[in-house]
Amino acid sequence: MAHDSHSGHHIVSQRVLITVFASLVALTVLTVITAQFVDIGVLNLPLALSIAGLKAMLVVTFFMALKYDNPMNSLILGIGVICVTVFLVFTLFDTAFRGDMPNVDSQTISDTEGRNLNQEAREAREESAGAQH
Amino acid sequence: MSEAVATAEQIHGHDDHPAHLQHHFVTSDQQFEASKMGMWLFLITEILLFSGMFVAYTVYRVWHPEVFQGVSSLLDWRLGGLNTIVLLASSFTVAMSIHFAQKNNQKGLVINLVITLLCACIFLVVKYFEYTGKFSHGIFPGIAYHPHGDYAVYDIPYAGQFFSIYYIMTGIHGFHVLVGIGVFIWITIRAIKGDFTSAYYTPVELTGLYWHLVDIIWIFLFPLLYLI
Repeated sequence: MAHDSHSGHHIVSQRVLITVFASLVALTVLTVITAQFVDIGVLNLPLALSIAGLKAMLVVTFFMALKYDNPMNSLILGIGVICVTVFLVFTLFDTAFRGDMPNVDSQTISDTEGRNLNQEAREAREESAGAQH
Repeated sequence: MSEAVATAEQIHGHDDHPAHLQHHFVTSDQQFEASKMGMWLFLITEILLFSGMFVAYTVYRVWHPEVFQGVSSLLDWRLGGLNTIVLLASSFTVAMSIHFAQKNNQKGLVINLVITLLCACIFLVVKYFEYTGKFSHGIFPGIAYHPHGDYAVYDIPYAGQFFSIYYIMTGIHGFHVLVGIGVFIWITIRAIKGDFTSAYYTPVELTGLYWHLVDIIWIFLFPLLYLI
């Protein structure tokens, strides 16, 4: 049976807090350097997001003390993260694969492979008209 | 069940349990755990609130990557970086304040809360200069987006979309910082009055959790808006 004392609360030591803070500052410097001064092409975006994710994990684990906390709170956070992932990924299933759909210009309607359907239709019409003559 | 608790339940008096312990909880620990879980549930709703804006950012970025990449360079990474460090420092001091509350060190608690409060104010001051700097070049959200002077070259399609998202996301984040300042003023006054001990510091703990979340949101906003 739990007592009315708070002996059960984990006290995160100053050493851990200072180490985490120093790591967070170092990661911030790293993300600025890799984004502003070193161009690594297509990897720029994933790298910046990975560093941000790592920083967020440090904050959640040590500053928010989930590591020492009731696992139920970690579960709550996990469910939240899963919901956000579903939200993001399923939205992109739609929006990232629409091709040229929003383009309503009659001259440049093309399919997802970039073929100009209008032009092909016009050529097909001219071809069949030529065949009749 | 301990004897003291049984007595408190029989008498329903206020003498036999700590002043902060409400009658519908058996122990202080149970009350603390319940409060903290409630706070985590609230934080999830906050994450979901911001996720809508992050999804909007992602969708529009996928549609117009070159525009987003181009105009994001208009935001000064030095000011954004400074604000990142300021928020990280405030997250650190609020964690320290909880550390001192758990050790019954009232002076350490109050000092760290005051530093946190100052960092929150510095963040908003820097944000104010960033916003007014952008406004002076005609960079407003939505249809008001009309960059002029040197910035006229940025009057390109979809650039306004980026800045609408920028103003909405940093604006709602800034509002959370403002709310945090209000709560920290209240917590600091209570800490000075000596309301918090190692036996009861729930408000400090919950405010800390809220503040860390505000920090995490910024950790993602900084690279997405300023860097890449």
